[in-house]
Amino acid sequence: MDLNIPRTGTTPEIRWDPAAGVLSISGESYPENSFDFFAPVQQWLSMSLASLPGLRVEVSVSYMNSSSIKCMLDLFDALGDAHAAGKKVNVVWNYETDNPRALDLAEEFRSEVSFPFLVHAIGS
Amino acid sequence: MTPQQLSRIREEFTREGVMICFNGAFAHSIIEEIGNALRRYLQDQEEKKSAALDVFAVYIEQAQNIRAYLARKQFREPEAANAIIVIARRGERYVVSSGNIVEAEDQHALAGRLEEIRGADAAALKRMFRERLRSDTRSAGGGAGMGLIEVARRCTQPLEYAFHPLDAGHSFFTLTAVV
Repeated sequence: MDLNIPRTGTTPEIRWDPAAGVLSISGESYPENSFDFFAPVQQWLSMSLASLPGLRVEVSVSYMNSSSIKCMLDLFDALGDAHAAGKKVNVVWNYETDNPRALDLAEEFRSEVSFPFLVHAIGS
Repeated sequence: MTPQQLSRIREEFTREGVMICFNGAFAHSIIEEIGNALRRYLQDQEEKKSAALDVFAVYIEQAQNIRAYLARKQFREPEAANAIIVIARRGERYVVSSGNIVEAEDQHALAGRLEEIRGADAAALKRMFRERLRSDTRSAGGGAGMGLIEVARRCTQPLEYAFHPLDAGHSFFTLTAVV
């Protein structure tokens, strides 16, 4: 199933690559209403996790407002449920080394999840 | 506006180190544009990246909180639908101050939350943030009411706030965050 949400000034690009089995989320996230923005992603994820053996989520988001953080955790909860049910899921969180807050955020998420979660530094 | 009024405003702004001030309706697009201007300005100032990120984050949380609150309340009078946000430089620190009308019925809960946040150290704020993150509540912006906690986490001193009574049903709420 397709998922291709183009980037805007305040919302990230969200793109599913079926060949690679990767859902990539990149850019910044501070939409007017985070719940409304992430709802289709949450829906897509539920359906995909039901039909696929697993998937990887690659996150390269340099800034997230607090409500996006909540919505992102909801996505990770869905991944966690799938992981507990035997699906192969993992997250790679990319952060730029000159952005200390991005590392803090990655670590906060990592401590909330129980599936493979790699925090990956990108030099600048 | 007379030249004298403009001059007085300019003097006040210079004295307070005001970089950006906006008074009006906080549409999402306005918040975005001012945010971009703020980031460019901080970049030009060659501000340390973490400080610039924190100022931006605090600005976004405050502005979006106000936008969501006013959208929910739908005040009819134009003055009530307008809010103010000021970003100033005070020595090594940045100050983000905002002001908006609140209804009396909301004041108590808001004051309560702010007092709880003011009294929390970094570890307690982190715990409060996590609790809110894990709760099932949904706020108007689609979050879980974590914005103020996020602001406090980025600040170098406790949040300052005040309620200035306007009439029986409304106050002017101001919030000052120092990064």
